[in-house]
Amino acid sequence: MGTFLVRRILGSIPIIFGVALVVFILFNIVGGDPALMMVGKHATAQQIADIRREYGLDQPLYVQFFHYLKDIITFDFGRSYATRQKISDMILNGIGPSLSLTLPAFFITTVISVILGLLVSYFRGGIIDRVAVILCVIGMSIPSLGYILFGQYYLAYELRMFPISGYDYSFPGRFEYLVLPMILWLLLSVGYDVRFYRTAMLEETTQDYVRTARAKGLSEPRVFFKHVLKNSMVPIVTNVVLEIPLLILGSFLFETFFGIPGLGSITIDALHNSDLPVIKSMAFVMSLLLIFGNIITDIVYALVDPRVKLK
Amino acid sequence: MSTLTTTPDSIEIGQPLPKGRSLWQLGWMRLKQDRYAIVCASIVLFYFLIALLSKLDLIASPWDMKVADSYAPPSLSEFKLWLGADIFGRSVMYKTIYGTRTAIGIGLVVTLLSIPIGVFLGAVAGYFGGWIDEIIVWFYTTLSSIPSILLLIAISYALNRGITAMYVALVSTSWIGMARVMRGEFIKHKTREYVIAADSLGASHFSKIFKHILPNVSHFIILNFSMQFMGAIKAEVILTFLGVGIQGTPSWGNMIDDAKLELARGVWWQLTGATVAMFFIILAFNILGDSLRDALDPKIK
Amino acid sequence: MGALKVMFNQKNFLVIVSAFSLAVTVMFTSCSKKNTLDPTNTFYTSSIAKIKGLDPAFADDLYSGIETTRIYEGLLEYEYLKRPYALRPALAEAMPVISKDGKTYTFKIKKGVLFQDDKAFKTTNGKGRELVAEDFAYSFKRLADPKLNSPMWWLLDGKIEGLNEWRESAQKAGKADYSAKVSGLKVADAATLEIKLKARSYQFIYSLAMPAMTAVAREVVEEYGPEFLNHPVGTGAFKLAEYNPSSQIVYVRNPTHRPDFYPTEGEASDQSAGLTGDAGKQVPFVDKIVMTVHVESQPLWLNFMQGKLDAAGIPKDNFAQAITTTKELTPELKNRGIQLIKEASLDVTHTSFNMTDSVVGKNKFLRQAISMAINFPEEIELFYNGRAISAQGPIPPGLAGYDEKTKNAYKEGNIEKAKALLSKAGFPDGKGLPTLDYLALSDSTARQMTEYLQKSLAAIGIQLKVQTFSWPEFQQSLKNKKGQMWSYAWSADYPDAENFLQLFYSKNAAPGPNDSNYSNPEFDRLYEKSLTQNDSAERTALYKKMSEMVMEDTPWVFGVHRVTYCLSHPWLKNYKPHEFNHGMSKYYKIDTSLRK
Repeated sequence: MGTFLVRRILGSIPIIFGVALVVFILFNIVGGDPALMMVGKHATAQQIADIRREYGLDQPLYVQFFHYLKDIITFDFGRSYATRQKISDMILNGIGPSLSLTLPAFFITTVISVILGLLVSYFRGGIIDRVAVILCVIGMSIPSLGYILFGQYYLAYELRMFPISGYDYSFPGRFEYLVLPMILWLLLSVGYDVRFYRTAMLEETTQDYVRTARAKGLSEPRVFFKHVLKNSMVPIVTNVVLEIPLLILGSFLFETFFGIPGLGSITIDALHNSDLPVIKSMAFVMSLLLIFGNIITDIVYALVDPRVKLK
Repeated sequence: MSTLTTTPDSIEIGQPLPKGRSLWQLGWMRLKQDRYAIVCASIVLFYFLIALLSKLDLIASPWDMKVADSYAPPSLSEFKLWLGADIFGRSVMYKTIYGTRTAIGIGLVVTLLSIPIGVFLGAVAGYFGGWIDEIIVWFYTTLSSIPSILLLIAISYALNRGITAMYVALVSTSWIGMARVMRGEFIKHKTREYVIAADSLGASHFSKIFKHILPNVSHFIILNFSMQFMGAIKAEVILTFLGVGIQGTPSWGNMIDDAKLELARGVWWQLTGATVAMFFIILAFNILGDSLRDALDPKIK
Repeated sequence: MGALKVMFNQKNFLVIVSAFSLAVTVMFTSCSKKNTLDPTNTFYTSSIAKIKGLDPAFADDLYSGIETTRIYEGLLEYEYLKRPYALRPALAEAMPVISKDGKTYTFKIKKGVLFQDDKAFKTTNGKGRELVAEDFAYSFKRLADPKLNSPMWWLLDGKIEGLNEWRESAQKAGKADYSAKVSGLKVADAATLEIKLKARSYQFIYSLAMPAMTAVAREVVEEYGPEFLNHPVGTGAFKLAEYNPSSQIVYVRNPTHRPDFYPTEGEASDQSAGLTGDAGKQVPFVDKIVMTVHVESQPLWLNFMQGKLDAAGIPKDNFAQAITTTKELTPELKNRGIQLIKEASLDVTHTSFNMTDSVVGKNKFLRQAISMAINFPEEIELFYNGRAISAQGPIPPGLAGYDEKTKNAYKEGNIEKAKALLSKAGFPDGKGLPTLDYLALSDSTARQMTEYLQKSLAAIGIQLKVQTFSWPEFQQSLKNKKGQMWSYAWSADYPDAENFLQLFYSKNAAPGPNDSNYSNPEFDRLYEKSLTQNDSAERTALYKKMSEMVMEDTPWVFGVHRVTYCLSHPWLKNYKPHEFNHGMSKYYKIDTSLRK
């Protein structure tokens, strides 16, 4: 286990380097001149040149890349061009609200989807399965904007069941504002997840051990809820890891409509503002999360699936 | 890398099938008996037909004519008014149809470009292994470690947006899934008896890859095709919503983006048009995907 | 929940599960309703953009300008009620004494004005110290500090004697020396500041009322360093209480605010609007301001309708719910006592032509044909709900130089005439004319407006190739003279038509603000002449003449002047929209008995 971890972490160094390279290349040819954004509508050529020098933007790209590598290794992300705030502070301030919304929403969605996924794969091919497909696809086709506008207007404004928008930094206080976005998140993503888990579970039902279990005379529900579910953990965890970026970026629309000061809107704002230091930091942080999420996945694989050995 | 091979993308499929009744023939027989699959296949074909007719300017043309007042509500009096009018009084029905053409176009371009790339790179990596494998795996792991939505936006920005930029962005992110599956399958198949037999008969690498192994794993391509097609259609909507999508011609993404400015005043028809159009094709692809998976699954006899 | 149990039989999941279930339990037990509206004397307001921080040196946009000036004050401020807009002393004892040559402004600073308490004031044990003339010299030098890169440096660039030299030596030294004297910012004694200009300027005085020119305290700036933008300490009516720049900022009344009174003069209509009852009373009236960011219009509107915001502009798409076709309030809102106030904005939207371009820049008739092809009444209906005035020239109503009677000859929305002009330009029915490069912004509204322009021009045979950009990319293209046409709006920095006419002055060409790169020696001559004159009939005549020149030459298709419709709840008193909303919240009053 220990050697596995070391190997995996060492193995992720080339990946991290690759991510830094791709992020740097893409975002250095993207977007407008940050100098212009900083001095605004009355900019003079002199001022633009001053800023470019000040921020090292006039240096050759490889030098800039070297600086970027140095910054990310030391976790010194610098300051945003647009808001002039420290990026590490922006990330730290945004991560709480983001995760307060997305982690519970994501967790509930996963639990409900796994249960529904089991049910529909249990009733595979039957009428319940067919109806579920239709419902799931309806859920997947309606754009998130539709859910948000509708939920905010009817549930929050007309029926006054929830606050319209807002956020409270006090710990339990914040959830009063987050319940509605969480419900909408659930509606939005349960369709896709159920479809995914249904597929994954059906693959398991064709495995030999299921046949063995059935042959042993185990009842069908027992086969499903014990053996199939347990062995579906691998695809479930895979899906969970794949959705890590969503935990941060996926809440973007919820954040702007419900006034939640999270990381999603920081990232999208940065894209619209050509705020390169923020984009580069966010892309890098999220990639790191994904890479380490993948390592954790592998460990979980080994824990739930005895067929997998960690070397 | 761990020694893991069991991912949902790459299930273990028993032994290559005996000659005579190929996987495909078997699959086709099964598919024909599946009523739902037939209906869904017809729906998909119907969408392709609409797209083709629209491409030939036979229906919903011209879409940019003023046919009613600004934001005229739906009326059953004429086909083009069934879904009302947009801000400039243009027929939302026509825009939905034109949007179908845009969506099918995107789906086709993206899948037809990304699947060959994915198949080729995955096959080469899995078949040859060694440093070729390492490089290809490094490359796609790097790309897939960057959240795809950021990558999509970045590539679109870098290529000055517009439809070409979107094609490149979607192709460069969507080949990865195919490559992963193919690599896994080729690693499994290259040590199978039939490949070893072909090898002993002096078959070239090229012939082993494309003549022997590929036909045995080709059903993954079909499954991947339907998934990517859906993915591309939905990505268009998201990208347009983020301001890096299609300009000037109708697309479902544009229509949904417009809804942001319209829903508050009670104009629901553009959103509905685009959503319903998206709903049926995604539904059809979903059910068809399920049926194909069942039909091509060699374990179900 | 049997499935759940099985699923988490794995003990490795126990930790995660318990963490999650804790979160879920907390979430559901905390749903008890609490009253979100503070019953106290609070003004609830909103901003449609995130606030970039509260450092006056970076307050270059409307929204951070509004927020910083709740805390910071300058030498001068705008009269709240008077129109046309006029200045009055704020931290200055009186309006400045201006020397005969118009170059030296002498200010006496008010005595006994205190900065808000902050731990940075070490010599007074955290009590705010008294404001002195040196604070202004320091604050103005900050705008010139090359390390700060203030976007507001243009206000002083080349204007104050010795300041550019100070900036250059700071650039050479790599660090600004704030103790070095600048001859144009002379501190005669603790209460006297003499500003010396390089040349006479009649527009300079307006800059003294802008957010960037407010007084900051050197101790505070140096205490917090780069974090100063999150630690505002001013002399204003409010001080910072809670600060989350991307969601909510809360201010409370500053107990040490100077004697500061509600204006006694205003427009004739102010009395009937109920704005004069508090004349001469000490401000502020409210104890607290809660400012919430609402980027999207739906939550803004719904919160206003639920009474959680005291005032709001009407988002375009909620217009039908609030306003009848005759542009009055709907009965529903009227019954709730909601007030509608219309206020013309000092701005102009426009489509610029790149005058350095060999096609559109060299062919006046082509530009006129394009201007002629657009149906502005329809555009105003579609995109502004009728809340705009078709612009004839660059100067908006409300400024000297605007003339209702002047009509732009190329704004009729007449397809036939447009086609005739296009033939005259040498491109009958668009034949021979290449597709024009149009630069557009990428948001939804801009996309619809671009489609409208494309449609209008297609009707006379002109095709546009649209490229979309984010705002910084858009600016970059303009500064680099790329593209042939593009559209955006210019809002006044100060209430003088010069601010609009300088957009056509050839020496301001890109990367300066004249991004159409219009160049006309005769215009330049008149412009330079107008700069030497104070507000007078003669200068107004010059402004009109310049306006007419650009109307004929059409370097811009003049778009519209927008009109803001503001709604306020009955409990909000003394509310009058202001184009230069700097520090105006101190005049607002809440009738707590009316608030539910």
